[in-house]
Amino acid sequence: MTQLALVIDLNVCVGCHACVTSCKEWNTSGMAGGMADDNPYGADPTGTFFNRVQTFEVGEYPCSETVHFPKSCLHCEDPPCVPVCPTGASYKREEDGIVLVDYDKCIGCKYCSWACPYGAREFDEHEKVMKKCTLCVDRIYDENIPEAERKPACVRACPTSARLYGDVHDPDSEVSVAIREAGGYQLMPEWGTNPANHYLPRRKTKIRIHEDELVRADNPLKKETDRPTGPIDEPTLDDSTSW
Amino acid sequence: MRKRIETYFDPLPFYFEPLEVQLSDKQKYPLSAITQRPMAMYHSWDSQNAWLRQIHAHNYLYMSPDLGEKEGFGDGDWVWVESQWGKVRCMCRFSEAVEPGTVWTWNAIGKSAGAWNLDQGANESKKGFLLNHLISEELPAHADGEHLSNSDPVTGQAGWYDVRVRVYKADEDEDKVVYPQFKAVASMPGEASKRPKWMTYFAGKFAKGGSR
Repeated sequence: MTQLALVIDLNVCVGCHACVTSCKEWNTSGMAGGMADDNPYGADPTGTFFNRVQTFEVGEYPCSETVHFPKSCLHCEDPPCVPVCPTGASYKREEDGIVLVDYDKCIGCKYCSWACPYGAREFDEHEKVMKKCTLCVDRIYDENIPEAERKPACVRACPTSARLYGDVHDPDSEVSVAIREAGGYQLMPEWGTNPANHYLPRRKTKIRIHEDELVRADNPLKKETDRPTGPIDEPTLDDSTSW
Repeated sequence: MRKRIETYFDPLPFYFEPLEVQLSDKQKYPLSAITQRPMAMYHSWDSQNAWLRQIHAHNYLYMSPDLGEKEGFGDGDWVWVESQWGKVRCMCRFSEAVEPGTVWTWNAIGKSAGAWNLDQGANESKKGFLLNHLISEELPAHADGEHLSNSDPVTGQAGWYDVRVRVYKADEDEDKVVYPQFKAVASMPGEASKRPKWMTYFAGKFAKGGSR
């Protein structure tokens, strides 16, 4: 059985939000749209996004890190949002494992957003239906676009290739290899949701420059090491250093 | 100027204390203040973009928590940041990722009210601020002259990262908006005079509230 998913490399993500905006650009105009913005040009603007980047710090100075953490629906293999839906609007596709919402059946009760432990659902206050990441299902099968472009919009937009897309059930797929070789992990596996999306951990980067190489030994401002040779009208220490 | 060239025009790079720092009172202004581009935007460009505004509609002054502890203010408090050139009131945010002798903020988030065709109450003008008010184009007057450019001696690049500041708590009874505030920018001809309360973009066009 195919299970399509995203694999996100936290070691590479720089938090540029290109995935956030490209996602909204594609999906607000597609079958999962629209994605409304409230107060778009006024105080405290807010709106619907299927993909958001959370940035947080870890550790204490100087051993601290800034982590950019893209979050979207994880397309769980056992999605808690599905059984709670009273109308069957929230469903998981057999053929590729994508979790979707049928807007025609959704009554906007928000049970699924209470059930989702990852906070991945976005309620549209204007259409009164629940929305979420579709893995760009209206793009990845579209035979009108070149095959190489049949990937989720966020994957195509990422400038650092931090986002990989493929079938996590195929052991030879790019995503499965990345998970295996880079130690990819699921979010909160103890909750039993078995998320299809995986994250690749941050890795330590070691500096390979020796301290000596960062200091220029013959810094011309260190004129105090010069021996006085000429007459007194040459520049003195006061002329050449800070005043 | 001749001395500057003689001292700094060296074909190999070397460290020297920035020119403005050499001329600043480092006891009174112990901190370096720098700016960084927000990655989701480019300068002010697209400040009027409804989606990018939701990523950064206002900014904070990021600093080590040690500084707040020393000066007696907490995370998110309103503070004054002051250089020898001027001062700005803004909100602070503690960060363990900041070198304790440095404060920084996102650049180009603060806007005058009404600028970029934003509503006058937009966060950019009430909570967003610019460090530009603290930075001078010229070095302080000193023995070599009164109007020497505050720029890199070799490249001429403006010394935007060379300003020294101090940070202290704003009084409780002060307005909870950034300082300075400016008179609202008037609408340009052709700009929408009234903005919808909500909107949805669709395939490059947008429908005003409710019409979808």
